[in-house]
Amino acid sequence: MSAPDPASGARIPVTVLTGFLGSGKTTVLNRLLRQPSLAGAAVIVNEFGAVGLDHLLIEASEEQFTLLDNGCVCCTVRGDLITTLKELSRRSSVGETPPLSQVIIETTGLADPAPILHTLMAETELMTRFRIGSVVTTVDAVNGAATLDRHSEAAKQVAVADRLLITKTDLASDEVLRDLGHRLEHLAPAVEQTIARNGEVELDLLASLSADAAADVNHIAMRLEAAAHHDHDCGPDCHHGHVHHHDTHHGIQSFSFIIDKPVEWRAFARWLDYVAALKGEDLLRFKGLVHVTDEPERPLVLHGVQHVFHPPARLDRWPSADRRTRLVFIVRDIERETIARTLVKFAAIDAASIAPPTLAAA
Amino acid sequence: MPDRSADLVLTNGRIYTLDRKRPWASAVAVKGGRIVAVGEGADVAALTGAATRVVDLKGATTMPGIVDVHAHLMMGGQAELFELRFPPTASFETLIARVGEAAGKAPEGSWIIGGQWGSDLLPKLNRLEALAALDRVSQGRPVMLRDDTYHNRWVNSQALVLAGLSASSPDPEKGSIGRDPATGALTGMMIESAAGIVERTIAQAGHYTEEMDRAAMARSIATLNSYGVTAFLDAAAMQPILAALKGLDDRGELTAWSVSAMPAVEPSFMFGIAGDALIALREQYRGVHAKPDFVKIFLDGVPGARTAAFHEPYTKDPVLGCCFRGSTIVTVPELIRWVGKCEKLGLGVKIHCAGDAAVSQALDAIDVVRSFNGPTKAMHHIAHASYIAPDDIARFAELGVVADLSPFLWYPTSFLEGHKQTMGEARALRFWPNRDLLAAGALLAGGSDWPVMPNPDPWDGIEGLVTRRNPSGEFPGAALWPEQAIDVATALEIFTINSARAIGLADTVGSIEVGKSADPIVLDRNVLETPAEDLADTKVLTTYFEGRVVYERA
Repeated sequence: MSAPDPASGARIPVTVLTGFLGSGKTTVLNRLLRQPSLAGAAVIVNEFGAVGLDHLLIEASEEQFTLLDNGCVCCTVRGDLITTLKELSRRSSVGETPPLSQVIIETTGLADPAPILHTLMAETELMTRFRIGSVVTTVDAVNGAATLDRHSEAAKQVAVADRLLITKTDLASDEVLRDLGHRLEHLAPAVEQTIARNGEVELDLLASLSADAAADVNHIAMRLEAAAHHDHDCGPDCHHGHVHHHDTHHGIQSFSFIIDKPVEWRAFARWLDYVAALKGEDLLRFKGLVHVTDEPERPLVLHGVQHVFHPPARLDRWPSADRRTRLVFIVRDIERETIARTLVKFAAIDAASIAPPTLAAA
Repeated sequence: MPDRSADLVLTNGRIYTLDRKRPWASAVAVKGGRIVAVGEGADVAALTGAATRVVDLKGATTMPGIVDVHAHLMMGGQAELFELRFPPTASFETLIARVGEAAGKAPEGSWIIGGQWGSDLLPKLNRLEALAALDRVSQGRPVMLRDDTYHNRWVNSQALVLAGLSASSPDPEKGSIGRDPATGALTGMMIESAAGIVERTIAQAGHYTEEMDRAAMARSIATLNSYGVTAFLDAAAMQPILAALKGLDDRGELTAWSVSAMPAVEPSFMFGIAGDALIALREQYRGVHAKPDFVKIFLDGVPGARTAAFHEPYTKDPVLGCCFRGSTIVTVPELIRWVGKCEKLGLGVKIHCAGDAAVSQALDAIDVVRSFNGPTKAMHHIAHASYIAPDDIARFAELGVVADLSPFLWYPTSFLEGHKQTMGEARALRFWPNRDLLAAGALLAGGSDWPVMPNPDPWDGIEGLVTRRNPSGEFPGAALWPEQAIDVATALEIFTINSARAIGLADTVGSIEVGKSADPIVLDRNVLETPAEDLADTKVLTTYFEGRVVYERA
């Protein structure tokens, strides 16, 4: 890992709007774009036609995958997006188009969001102009459960989401909705679920599109903690009338760690190198807010997608009174215990300082 | 009722089984290439039918076939069949004279390829005067001579011309081209990856044909059989090697169990596809006896050329300065990724580590993988586990890493003389802590690294493990770190059952037990009672492979 670089505040947030085929992405996009606050947004779509507003619409060319030069077949960037985003940036900076406030990328139904995130994390030129906003994933209330069973792509779209939008809720019974909600909670416990009625999206979604990274980690950690307590109170034999689908999420799960002693950055970075090298493919998303020994007043924000890690950003101050290190993992086939054990062994983290919110539930 | 009678019965032998539950027996019965009974005469009598071939061993010592955990088959056969050979102790004058003889016989324009000169000659050869002497006797033929480490080459001026090299040629990455310090003129010395420039030129010239490959492989295996070797791991199996092994196996001509390690990166001495592209082809080269189950990674070079990675610096050098420690060619995260990937594919990793820092790094990487993945069936080897930091000794057993003992350098040799020059005498002598590894519970597995050793005779290595003295009589009176000597019974395990475990064939080879492949070897002496200094004289009288005689001493 390289040394932390200063956080840059002026970059344009890029929202990734994803969701499986037929889950209502385009409808949601149409409604979103009616919001006045998104007037300055550019939208990258896969095909013209469906969206009919006065926004800067760009049709993405064929998805082009370029292997990242890190020796890993799972790490690709989207060459088409690099070209498109650079062009957007150029046009707005020379005044050909109004200043950009937002970019929204609508993916195809089968798309893996990871290469898009890699593109924003690994392309130096893009990184100076854009930052990852949120990954918003639409889930169809009627077919969502079956889609999750059948398609690992759908499970991954949900797992890496920052925000889930449940669509077509008017067509589903309360029971179906409740079951789906529980399932999504297990697949992505830290992620807020928003119900979209007739494609109408609540206003707080707009705020989350350009969410602040540190607050985001705080928020996720708190939600994970709450989810864990919920499980703990419930107990392993309690079903609350719903069925746990642990085996049907294609091995994907989330967990978080809270570490209440300062972290030695060098050792921690080495551990990150190791985890990326060995488990990168299955590390779907990783976020962290880290209290480091050398600058305890200025936490580091970490963000990784598979093998690709964003250069750590150093915040000027802690976002809240809670100064504990928080780590959030969304993984495939990696046990929480493995992460805990290796953190202790390679990241010089005292086992006693790890307060595991989900340990009680294990 | 099916015929229960054995195809082959060996009786009246002193059979040392290497099975700790039953170390000795006098008779063995074989059916369908597998051992069906081990015991005394009465145990096999019921299995002896009209069609059973009965061999009276007449009290001869018999044991399981040797398992060589590290050999380079094609190169061994090529060296034997097609190349000029001289011992690493050969003097400069001898070397020049031998090239002169070969040049007189070689057709005009054909390559003269030979080896291996001792690493201790490197400074002497790396000079314009030496090159001039070589050129004088070569009669215009291109000449390439390999060293005893197989990492470096010394070539003549004609070879430099054919390889397109001149004083203005830059050093390749991870290698260097010898130059006169005053004029910059090339000396013909090709270090590490620079050796590949010349080897590639030879390969592209079509010097080795497919026919030669096949002949070399068959010859190599026959040679192994003659020393009692019935299973081996080919430690850098490129496509032609995999193809030759599979081809021989399909034709029923493979007379040893073969496990192959596919290089992760094209090695400096072999050419063609490597890494993922080669690994992807492995199933097409799998046969009944041909198992591409390992990947080979070179982590550093060799101490004599100052290319091995050490914790402490080499001795002062005019070019490298006071504090050069060598370096590893693969980073720890890269190594972690490779080991992790191989474990996913069910492949073991054999990691070449000649210096103690390379050993530490390999152990570090395996430690990380083990910490994440837990133990696996796939075995990982540290090849040439010879210079080892004291703190790392215990880690072999802790991490379940095999100590690949090869080549046979645990006694005074020309290699050691080279190491003394580059490392200083005291450090050079802390070579092969075999006894310490054993005491710490490591799995030690024996190998020849043939043709780095001029022949794959395991009895040379076994004697050396016991005496720590050079079995050939060279370096008389000298012993290398004699406190690290081990007993002969342990040495025999190291070259049989231990290597069998290391290459993943513990259920098939390595001991004489019911159900295992019938690969016994008959010896000319009882090696457990032979004076240690005579062990290297042991001759194999008969070698069986799956119950068939594949070698018989004339």
